[in-house]
Amino acid sequence: MAEVQLRVNGVDVEHDVPDQTLLVEFLRETLRLTGTHVGCDTSQCGACTVNLDGVSVKSCTVLAAQASGGAVTTVEGLRADQDAPLHPVQNAFVQCHGLQCGFCTPGMIMSVDFYLRRPPKLDEESICHALEGNICRCTGYVNIIEAVRHAAHDLYPALAGATAEGSQS
Amino acid sequence: MIGQPLPRVEDRRFVTGNGKYTDDLQIEGQTYAAFLRSPHAHAGLLSVDISAALDAPGVIAVLVGRDYLEDGYQGVDHVPNPIDAVDATKKAFLTSLTGQIFNQRHIPLPVDRVRYVGEPIAMVIAQTPLAARNATEMIEVEYDVLDAVVNAADAMQDGAPQMWDGAPGNLCFQAQIGERDEARRIIAGAPLVVQREFHHSRVVNCQMEPRSAIGAYDGETGVYTLISGSQGAVRQKLCLADALKVPPAQVRVVCPDTGGGFGPRSFIYVEQLAVVWAARRIGRPVRWTSDRSEAFLSDYQGRDAIVRATFGFSKDGRILAIDNEWLGNVGAHTVSYVSMSNGTRIMTTVYDVPVAAVHISAVMTNTVPTAPYRGAGRPEATHVIERMLDLAAAELGLDRAEIRRRNLIAHEKLPYRSPMGLTYDSGEFARNMTRALELAEWNSFSERRAAARANGRLRGIGLANYIESPVGAPRERIELTVLPEGRIDIVAGTQSTGQGHETTFAQVIAQHLGVPMASVTLRTGDTAFVSVGGGSHSDRSMRLGGMLLVDTAAQIVATARQVAAALFDASPERVAFADGGFADPASDRRIGLFEVAARIASDGVPGDPAQRKLYAHAEVNTRVPAHPTGAAVCELEVDPDTGVVELVNYTSVDDVGQPINPLIVEGQVHGGLAQGIGQALSETCYLDRATGQVLTGSYMDYGMPRAGAIPPLRVELTEDPTHGNPLRVKGGGESGITPATATIFNALADALKEFGNEELAMPATPKVVWEYIHRRAG
Repeated sequence: MAEVQLRVNGVDVEHDVPDQTLLVEFLRETLRLTGTHVGCDTSQCGACTVNLDGVSVKSCTVLAAQASGGAVTTVEGLRADQDAPLHPVQNAFVQCHGLQCGFCTPGMIMSVDFYLRRPPKLDEESICHALEGNICRCTGYVNIIEAVRHAAHDLYPALAGATAEGSQS
Repeated sequence: MIGQPLPRVEDRRFVTGNGKYTDDLQIEGQTYAAFLRSPHAHAGLLSVDISAALDAPGVIAVLVGRDYLEDGYQGVDHVPNPIDAVDATKKAFLTSLTGQIFNQRHIPLPVDRVRYVGEPIAMVIAQTPLAARNATEMIEVEYDVLDAVVNAADAMQDGAPQMWDGAPGNLCFQAQIGERDEARRIIAGAPLVVQREFHHSRVVNCQMEPRSAIGAYDGETGVYTLISGSQGAVRQKLCLADALKVPPAQVRVVCPDTGGGFGPRSFIYVEQLAVVWAARRIGRPVRWTSDRSEAFLSDYQGRDAIVRATFGFSKDGRILAIDNEWLGNVGAHTVSYVSMSNGTRIMTTVYDVPVAAVHISAVMTNTVPTAPYRGAGRPEATHVIERMLDLAAAELGLDRAEIRRRNLIAHEKLPYRSPMGLTYDSGEFARNMTRALELAEWNSFSERRAAARANGRLRGIGLANYIESPVGAPRERIELTVLPEGRIDIVAGTQSTGQGHETTFAQVIAQHLGVPMASVTLRTGDTAFVSVGGGSHSDRSMRLGGMLLVDTAAQIVATARQVAAALFDASPERVAFADGGFADPASDRRIGLFEVAARIASDGVPGDPAQRKLYAHAEVNTRVPAHPTGAAVCELEVDPDTGVVELVNYTSVDDVGQPINPLIVEGQVHGGLAQGIGQALSETCYLDRATGQVLTGSYMDYGMPRAGAIPPLRVELTEDPTHGNPLRVKGGGESGITPATATIFNALADALKEFGNEELAMPATPKVVWEYIHRRAG
């Protein structure tokens, strides 16, 4: 058994789990944070994406024990609490119809949140590169790409004018 | 409300991680199942030794097929022969040249023989998922490996390995539809005959939520419960009850949030049956969640048809007759013949074809069973006719748009009855094509081709027209209740797998009852309160559900008007309904709909004091024809050095009828198109033709489209109104995908025309394209 101490969405947790427990299993099964999803078993789909110590990771590829001592943000933790307004990325997905079945959405949102933590490039190629690790079957990605731009403009109002330039490149 | 591009009301729970898919749920006392799956495509099961697995730590039970039969159950009847597209009282296929239409019951674990790689052989139930999985590896199976066949044409050969005793020659059925003799007579005398064989590649459904199922059994009531994402709880309940040999009332199916459907999830999967069976056996709930590797081996797959087309043309490019042969790969179990039925009915699409015939062979192979996959027969039929038109245009030296113009059904011919018996009541076919060509700047393409050429790239443009035949389950039901507390409750037999019904159904009711959308809630997907309904597929939800929403809303208004009239002491005809309330212009008295509901709760309705609810229901069980139609243009470039195809842009003009929510409709077009692009350029389930081994077993080797696969899109919605339903809904779910492979393959053939006119294999991966370009060099 491994002793895992994590700060998850601002709350300190501590559990003993079998050594081979993946971070995603720890989140879903031990903590019952089921917003983080498992969509594949080869680290391709990105449905399990969370933020670990400021970096976007696929939580199916990290052992819980490896992450121990770190801080994790999941899709449930993007807002301060359940009554708070939606995070700008969450809101952008809603406004742009960037989701259909919703299964890939938490991972998409966590990847986009990471991409937008610094002023991003918003040309098609850069956005698609940022989304390369996340698979969606429903949307054709069109409105997800739109949501990235929508959220970026919300987070960085100065970028709104620069987008046209970016998309020309 | 109707027609507004409103953001979806269900999204809040999904973007915050509060969606509840099957695997997110916990059941008291739950145990975990894992399946041992066959590594062989075809093998006799000489022995299955479960003793070591039974002794493994944490294991509760190990079950095999014999246990299932000894418990007295029977296999699932998938009802593969669908209901006819025109007459809902009949089956699609009534007779077979082989004398029978084969329907093999599907038991969850085979007893004596496995027929595809991934077929489950044994089920382990344990205290933890890991214990269950580890124990499957302790089961010793002695196989008698048999020859396998995975290609439908191979399976029809003499001496091919045989799947089932009940299907000699591996044929489920053969059907000759249309006027073959007449078609052949015309083709024999036609100035131009074009023949070509197309293989519509086999695709994997790849819905993002891996399949998951929780089974429970209540020993006191004898009720089996299945909790599992699907495309329709009622159908699943009926199929389970039949297999378990209990009345339908003894089965409850609950469908939580479902992470994508696309067709195959309309049907029962053996794992869903196995968990409820096992739950009864061990006396505890049993849960199972597929991993993605299992999904690639066991989720019903799509397409996989070979079509041998023969078209006769006049000198001026008119189609005189069609004589096609369609080989549908059914796979190892008889799950569905829907694609063959759809592909037949729609085979002449938007063209005025005088005579058409098709010979269908439904063929069993050592592959995962196939099921309807988004479009289900319509994209295949569209691909064939659109490719044939391009080939004929090239032979005749005609412009590709011009040959289509000459063949399109003229608007004044509507309602038009096709040779395959569909009646189109609406559709501006020529106008849609013209608009798509305009948007795509078709006429100035040669300049862009020349510019690309100067950069060493091969540019092509392609066009396809399409029409669909929305069919699916004909029976649907809506129940509508207005509650005094200011809420309206809809219970529907359809259910969303991502289409946003909570939003669009609320939009319709908000409009028709003049109430805020926020007051409307939709409940679906639990047979505890949904008695009737066909689920979601084939563009049926708003077409049928919408019609019934309008009907029930009108009933509610009629009943409430009586109550209001009684209160106002006025005649009902004098009472006006507007903005969610009733008014008597004479006395200026007003009462809101919810106040009427409160009044009914206390006093009942006039003439029926016992009726204390403002409630209405409506059902339909017939065909509601409506034909979504449109045109698409794709422009692409090929890098001749690498064979990489880059889609430059894509234009889609779609008549989906009245869009209830254009934001959602356009999203459906995008998604369908992405699946079409995937099939055209990257996706297929590669199988080893000799052994039946699956070569694409994960997202690492299956060509799922990623962001970046989709080119800049121009989607324009248009409408030539249908009169078949009050909301003028045709359907949007399959519009993106139906013309997609046709459009892309026409563009690709155009880009590569200097290298010949043989048919490229599907998907046209860089390897396929590069080899095509360089095939004569070596």
